[in-house]
Amino acid sequence: MLDMSIKTDIETWFSVSQFYALEAHLFDDWKFRDWIDLLDEEVFYWMPMISNRIGREVGKEVGSIDHLSHYEEDKTSLSNRVKRLETGMAWAETPPGRTRHMVSNIVVEPGEEADTVNAKSAFLVWRSHLEVDQEMFAGKRLDVLRPCDVTGWKIKRREIIVDHATLTQKSMGIFF
Amino acid sequence: MLDEGQYPHFDHLIDLTKGAINRKIFSDPETYQWELKNIFAKCWLFLGHESMLPKKNDFFTAYMGEDPVIVTRTGDGDIHAFLNMCRHRGNRVCRGDRGNARQFTCPFHGWSFRNDGSLTSVPGYKEVYLEKLDLEANGLVKVAKLATYKGLIWATFDQNAPPLDEYLGDMAWYLDMAVDRLEGGIEFLPGQHKWQVKCNWKLPVDNFIGDSYHGPVSHGSAWQSGFEGQPLRLAGYGREGFQVNPGQGHGFGARWAESYDDVVKMALPEFRDYETARAPKTHERLGDLRGLHLSPMHASIFPNVSMLWQSGSFRVWHPRGPLLTEAWSWCFVDKTADEDHRREVRLHELQRHGTTGTWEQDDVDNWVQTTAASKGYAGRAFMQNLSMGVDDENENPQEIHPEFRGRVGRFQSEINQRDFYREWAKRMNDHSLPNIAGADAN
Repeated sequence: MLDMSIKTDIETWFSVSQFYALEAHLFDDWKFRDWIDLLDEEVFYWMPMISNRIGREVGKEVGSIDHLSHYEEDKTSLSNRVKRLETGMAWAETPPGRTRHMVSNIVVEPGEEADTVNAKSAFLVWRSHLEVDQEMFAGKRLDVLRPCDVTGWKIKRREIIVDHATLTQKSMGIFF
Repeated sequence: MLDEGQYPHFDHLIDLTKGAINRKIFSDPETYQWELKNIFAKCWLFLGHESMLPKKNDFFTAYMGEDPVIVTRTGDGDIHAFLNMCRHRGNRVCRGDRGNARQFTCPFHGWSFRNDGSLTSVPGYKEVYLEKLDLEANGLVKVAKLATYKGLIWATFDQNAPPLDEYLGDMAWYLDMAVDRLEGGIEFLPGQHKWQVKCNWKLPVDNFIGDSYHGPVSHGSAWQSGFEGQPLRLAGYGREGFQVNPGQGHGFGARWAESYDDVVKMALPEFRDYETARAPKTHERLGDLRGLHLSPMHASIFPNVSMLWQSGSFRVWHPRGPLLTEAWSWCFVDKTADEDHRREVRLHELQRHGTTGTWEQDDVDNWVQTTAASKGYAGRAFMQNLSMGVDDENENPQEIHPEFRGRVGRFQSEINQRDFYREWAKRMNDHSLPNIAGADAN
């Protein structure tokens, strides 16, 4: 039976939803240092690659953890990526690109560990760079969040499934 | 599309004595059409690695120039490559990137082909074709030649092409420093980065074949932020290495090591334990020059393959018109590497190179804008400058080390780029038709 029951209360849902909106504004306002503070010390941030499959292999489009991925990061590598953007020599973002992160379709469920929640969301990210480069990224995020007194939530795990096989975007230096 | 009665000449676009390249070749649509014929239909092109076909009936799809191909391993273990093109209307018979299949059925009218290319069934063969269709003559078009070099799969559409070993020449001998440095060779990790860049395909090849010069500026941000290993491994414009040019448009850049200690010091810090164990084994296997002294960094193989040694990057730059290139990039590791080392190599590769690579991203706009510079009438009147080290190309590197093959330049020298464009012009001036078996028209 398809289970469409609501697995959270409105307060939790509202809190996660506001957390995502504030996070999106941090991305779009280039406040990446602040975004790093939203990450748990043990965060696992992963964006697998997508391939076209046929026949019996339809459904196996998403790469596995031991495959080459777009992103396979911990807090140190993400912090280093942010440090790179601050050098003034990260030419792919110098001058900075313009992004707008739209996050929606948020579904929250209790997580496996006490206090954590699993949150699923969809995103569309618009990016424009230099004169006329214009790119769109679409996908979904599967998060494990834990409550935090300071930032509301901390991201313990983020799995990002993009709806692109071969990227037509010239590079992917932004976060999702 | 091409006027075979009016052969253009390309020699005057390349002045090797000055290292001057006419920018027209980076955007001219007509030049591009001649490239598809004189280069991509005649050279040996890279398809993938045998480890991408571990089981019987495995397949993956690839490109040879703009032509889509399917690469299969049949039940007898043999590897084949065909145009991914139904002989009826030209539709792609396989829309998957990889997988396992004994046959491919065209989604248009249902012609079915076995994974050895043979046409096995045509809907309405009796009723609509009245059994007059020649099934044998309408199998998938096979590449003219397919060969492997230590696991790397290559093919050419031209039956007149020389054998692969001859095509790679001394580059194959140097390539052993990657593919044969340990017993068992290498394998490709699953997964490949694929992305499009609005640049001419030659510019990234040129970048990887010999541009050690751009590192400190183009990649300054990655160096400063922890993506060159910790602590900082390299700095400045040192001369402690060579650009090695085995000829035929292939080339690579390497640091020079005097001892195992140097080899290990030049490795990424995370790889140092692994390198300490590896260095003496490779030395014994490949001898002094290849096994000890040369620590390769970057390479390109004519026409459109590039590599980075340490993070195990192996890629193809597929042409998609004069102003667009599609990069396909894999990560290779020594077959005997343990899980920890595989993970380290994988992380270094994806955090430095490919779609989200902290190094890669900053190359992209350089190639895009160099391509764009070739479009304006006034800008095109000025030559691309590849003059670095033009008076210092060493034809007798055996004086430096007796095992050297080919020519060498200083570590900061554009010798390899010049040889790439020399080979390009030579091939572009050769207007002989590629010998594509069974082709109906050129």
